[in-house]
Amino acid sequence: MGEPPLLAVEELKKTFGALVATDHASFSVERGTITGLIGPNGAGKSTLFNCISGFYQPDGGTITLSGTDITGLTPYEIVDHGLVRTFQTPRRLEGMTVREAMLVGPREQPGETFHKLFTAPGAVAAHERENLAAVDRMLEAFELDHLATQPATDLSGGQLKLVELARAMLTEPEILLLDEPVAGVNPTLAKDLATQIRRLHDEGTTFLIIEHDMEFIMDLADRIVVLDQGSVLTEGPPEAIRADDRVIDAYLGGGGRG
Amino acid sequence: MGVADTLQAYWNELTEAERTLSTAVGVTVLGLLVLMLTGVLDPTYFLFLFGLGGMYALLSMGLNVQWGYAGLINFSVAAFFGLGAYGTALLTAQSSPIAGGLPPLIGLLAGLGLAGVVAVLIGVPTLRLRADYLAIASLGLAEVVRMIVLNESQWTAGSQGLYGIPLFYDGWPIVGGLPGALPTIQFVGPGGPVTFGTPFWQELLNVLLLLGFLGASIFVLRRAHRSPWGRVLRTIRADEHLAEALGKHTYRFKMQAFVLGSLIMALGGVYFAHLQLFVSPGNLDPVTTFYVWVAVILGGSGSNRGALFGGFVIVAIREGSRFLGDASVVPIDAAPLRLIIIGLLIILLMRFRPQGLLPPQRELIWPSVIDNRGDRDG
Repeated sequence: MGEPPLLAVEELKKTFGALVATDHASFSVERGTITGLIGPNGAGKSTLFNCISGFYQPDGGTITLSGTDITGLTPYEIVDHGLVRTFQTPRRLEGMTVREAMLVGPREQPGETFHKLFTAPGAVAAHERENLAAVDRMLEAFELDHLATQPATDLSGGQLKLVELARAMLTEPEILLLDEPVAGVNPTLAKDLATQIRRLHDEGTTFLIIEHDMEFIMDLADRIVVLDQGSVLTEGPPEAIRADDRVIDAYLGGGGRG
Repeated sequence: MGVADTLQAYWNELTEAERTLSTAVGVTVLGLLVLMLTGVLDPTYFLFLFGLGGMYALLSMGLNVQWGYAGLINFSVAAFFGLGAYGTALLTAQSSPIAGGLPPLIGLLAGLGLAGVVAVLIGVPTLRLRADYLAIASLGLAEVVRMIVLNESQWTAGSQGLYGIPLFYDGWPIVGGLPGALPTIQFVGPGGPVTFGTPFWQELLNVLLLLGFLGASIFVLRRAHRSPWGRVLRTIRADEHLAEALGKHTYRFKMQAFVLGSLIMALGGVYFAHLQLFVSPGNLDPVTTFYVWVAVILGGSGSNRGALFGGFVIVAIREGSRFLGDASVVPIDAAPLRLIIIGLLIILLMRFRPQGLLPPQRELIWPSVIDNRGDRDG
């Protein structure tokens, strides 16, 4: 392929004191794919996510997005480059209804600039109206429209994950990083989530997903990256990963000795 | 639609708590008016107290922007209040060692400017860090400001304080001479003589000025609260990482909220200086910060009208306890009694209504957008 990968991580290193969380981690995500990121607990998956999304400063290596170096940028700058992430534990927004919480999603709202509230109230209202319509459409597409005016704190864990995904989509990302989207979600909602992820993928969004639920991720992903002890153990299509003895060893605690 | 219909519609939209409190406030105001007209309460002093209540309301609305909207813990309310009060006093008071005699409008700008600059200076190093650092830094700031005012007497007149501060509208055409020009009305009510003289008209003008300050603040805050800007602040309060992950430059938002809140507190300080006509380092005591926090928590964090209400309640408690102490109704001095009452109030509140009396309960979406969709009836 001539085109550079959408997301490329090279030789990434992150340490916490003497603890090396990721070391020489290199992999890439091609545009238009769903890539799964798996590995045993403590393999460095979440650290990697935090480095890519700007929440941690890496100690070495580079991260490029569509050929642009985004290493060490702040989270909001990285979002401006088109990379958005979600969190493992869904965050509840106290005192907001679901559609209010969704309205935080859209980027570049004039109403987020303080002085425009007074100098350009018309533009603020126009954008708010557009955004609210976009929220309604998104909630409908996620079959959550009946919850629009419910308090966001009343949702179940699974519904919250759906709302998070829907809100992340309102930022119109090129690539979406999901941190364990089905952890603690009941099987019916997990199926809904998979359906939604496939739908969004068909519409052109690229995904990088951390997931412990093997069945879920093997079924969904085009490509799997296996992380063990801070670096990439292997990568390939799900069938190949399933058959790879090293992966099984890593999960059973062999830790590369086998 | 007639006025009655509009009022009816407004009433229908209020929550249960808001209706109960509106009724209580209405009855209290009516009762106080009756006491004033029958000579039991001195009307001039009463208006002065009302002014103090409004000043506390400004302070608590300012803190509400920082704590209630954005979750910023600011323990230097007294300092920003003091910067506003000293900012205007240093330029307008006759006894000012720096300037003195300048018009109060210049003083207002100076007080707000001073508070704004200090807010930015304290915000730059702390707002990038975790929330607790601002709390610690602001605690220190309050003492630093108080110590500077107390000890740098070549600039601030130190413990003597600044006196000879003009009324805010002194020297304005027409309005400035109005209190002296209005007639004195006197009559004897059942509770004693009632006098509406020059001091009363002065205080009445002060109250009008207060209503102007409060009105302007409420106008700005209501709009900000219901805007996308306010929504980002509320997201930051709930979870700052989430706001960052959605691409919001959280430092910028926190800084704006911190400065806006501090400006409103300083406005309270400016008003106080031209109400009391005397400021001293005693006005910067940390207990003011404590009272304002109680006011915000009592009213309901995040609610503008709650903060407004809480401010007046604090003055009612302050003066009520003084009255009870003076009248020897209870065998305790006013100062400890006040703290006991406030302590009990907080305990009862946390036990039975931890969200405060008037918590925010409405969806906060830009008004015209929701109204046009017919989502609201009435």
